[in-house]
Amino acid sequence: MITFEQVSKRYGERLALDSISWHMDEGECVVFLGHSGAGKTTILRLITHETQPSHGSVTVGTFTGGRLPRPHRALLRRTLGIVYEDFRLLHDRTVFENVALPVRIAGRFADQDVVPRVLFALEEVGLQLKQDAFPAELSAGERQKAAIARAIVNRPAVILADEPTGALEQKSAEEVLGLLKRIHSEGAALLLVTTRREVAEALPARVLELDDGRLTDTGAGPAAEALGDGAAATAEASPAPETPAAPAGSEASAGTPGGSAGR
Amino acid sequence: MHAYYFREAARSFKHHRYLASTAIVVLTAALALTGVFLLLTHNAQVALGMMGDRREMIVYLRDDIDARDRDALAGRLRDLYGSVEYVSKEAAWEQMRQQVGDPSLLDAVQDNPLPASLRIKLKPALLAPDSMEAAARQVAQFPEVEDVRYGAEWVRRLDELGAGLRLGTLAIGLIVAISVVFVLYNTIRLTVLARRQQVEVMSRLGATDRFIAWPFVLEAMFEAGLSAVLALVAVFGAQQAVASRLIGVVFLPPLWALAFVGAAIALAWMAAWMALSRVLRGVGP
Repeated sequence: MITFEQVSKRYGERLALDSISWHMDEGECVVFLGHSGAGKTTILRLITHETQPSHGSVTVGTFTGGRLPRPHRALLRRTLGIVYEDFRLLHDRTVFENVALPVRIAGRFADQDVVPRVLFALEEVGLQLKQDAFPAELSAGERQKAAIARAIVNRPAVILADEPTGALEQKSAEEVLGLLKRIHSEGAALLLVTTRREVAEALPARVLELDDGRLTDTGAGPAAEALGDGAAATAEASPAPETPAAPAGSEASAGTPGGSAGR
Repeated sequence: MHAYYFREAARSFKHHRYLASTAIVVLTAALALTGVFLLLTHNAQVALGMMGDRREMIVYLRDDIDARDRDALAGRLRDLYGSVEYVSKEAAWEQMRQQVGDPSLLDAVQDNPLPASLRIKLKPALLAPDSMEAAARQVAQFPEVEDVRYGAEWVRRLDELGAGLRLGTLAIGLIVAISVVFVLYNTIRLTVLARRQQVEVMSRLGATDRFIAWPFVLEAMFEAGLSAVLALVAVFGAQQAVASRLIGVVFLPPLWALAFVGAAIALAWMAAWMALSRVLRGVGP
């Protein structure tokens, strides 16, 4: 599903990633753990094609390597659901409108079909009663839940989460992590980057540790072991598959709620 | 087209109403200038059209030609230049008497000094000053002709005025078109930069450039269309004010007005896509 092969990324003189290789399968949960500046966000930016590797290749579903043309880049991003630390909600729109945005961008649904999809996503994150509120009227935890609803509304095959609890106090952080765990357990692959070990340990995840752009450790969090997740060995040591699977929630297959991501 | 784009355009317009209002005021002023020139051109054309009907050539005949020669000449002139009307010496004198008004003024004149004439209403193809001049020279060559008169100078001046106005309108139209593109280009650029966060978020969510751009394009087209209508209203007001003092000044024909608004909207469409194709590449991640 997502494969990095000998990927390096250099920003001027600074080496953000140093020849890392890893692979993530459909439905898997992977956490990149590392200190600030370790290269975690660069990994997400490479996956979303916001930046290009200086060396090596990045494969996401059927999108392989190189600079994609802008329409293909947009298509790739529509197969992903992204959650940011700072939420990145549009302040002049209600929660409903924010969550509806990816549905409209996908362009596959008539106006009357947008509403049930959005309400379903809001219900999943427990924000159905806040649909008319603006982001400024929400707590930080609620904003992140709205961002998660926006990420899952199109049923993507992969959810990317960039320090999703970074701006939250403990209770909200636990709620958000519980929500992400549930979404993953329903079938979506989850790739989360964080500086906090407790976040990694709270998820049934394979944890890959990053230090100054290098993968230093691979393993499984306790929850993963408890669930018997056998994906721990897929990283670095194991070679990337020859033909990675296309994201199940891609343009062609992402459909109705409960569809492609197996949810 | 998706109703979403229109809603977004309305939202953006409302959000940036001061920027949009400034653009509308500037565009209205520029378009009104073009509108005034269009109005002048149209009225000059109307005036020239009316005067064109009166562009006749008067061929004065020698006193010593007989009726057969006169009719033969009239026939040839009819074939070559247009419809011909014969005005006898007597008829010319009578017209003179009517124009003078007071018969006693003409009592001192013993004999009728006025020559008979043929009045030619020229064919449309001969109404240009150069053609009229050439036709007059040719007619003067006939032996039966004493003299040829036509309003050479004022016809030339009117034509020059008409051509000047057309050229002026074209030049002003071109300058205004560039101004419209420039104003809208920068307005759209500022609007997109002001909504940078929105554009970035949409781009990260997988929106295509087209999806992001359409609301901005519609907004620009709306601003240009509204400005063109306001400019026409201003020009109409000016026409009404002038028409009350100067009879015969008319407003633009509906087709011209529609074309005026359509051209403004088309320019806005062009300017918006030009701006967005550059700005989105700079803003979108």
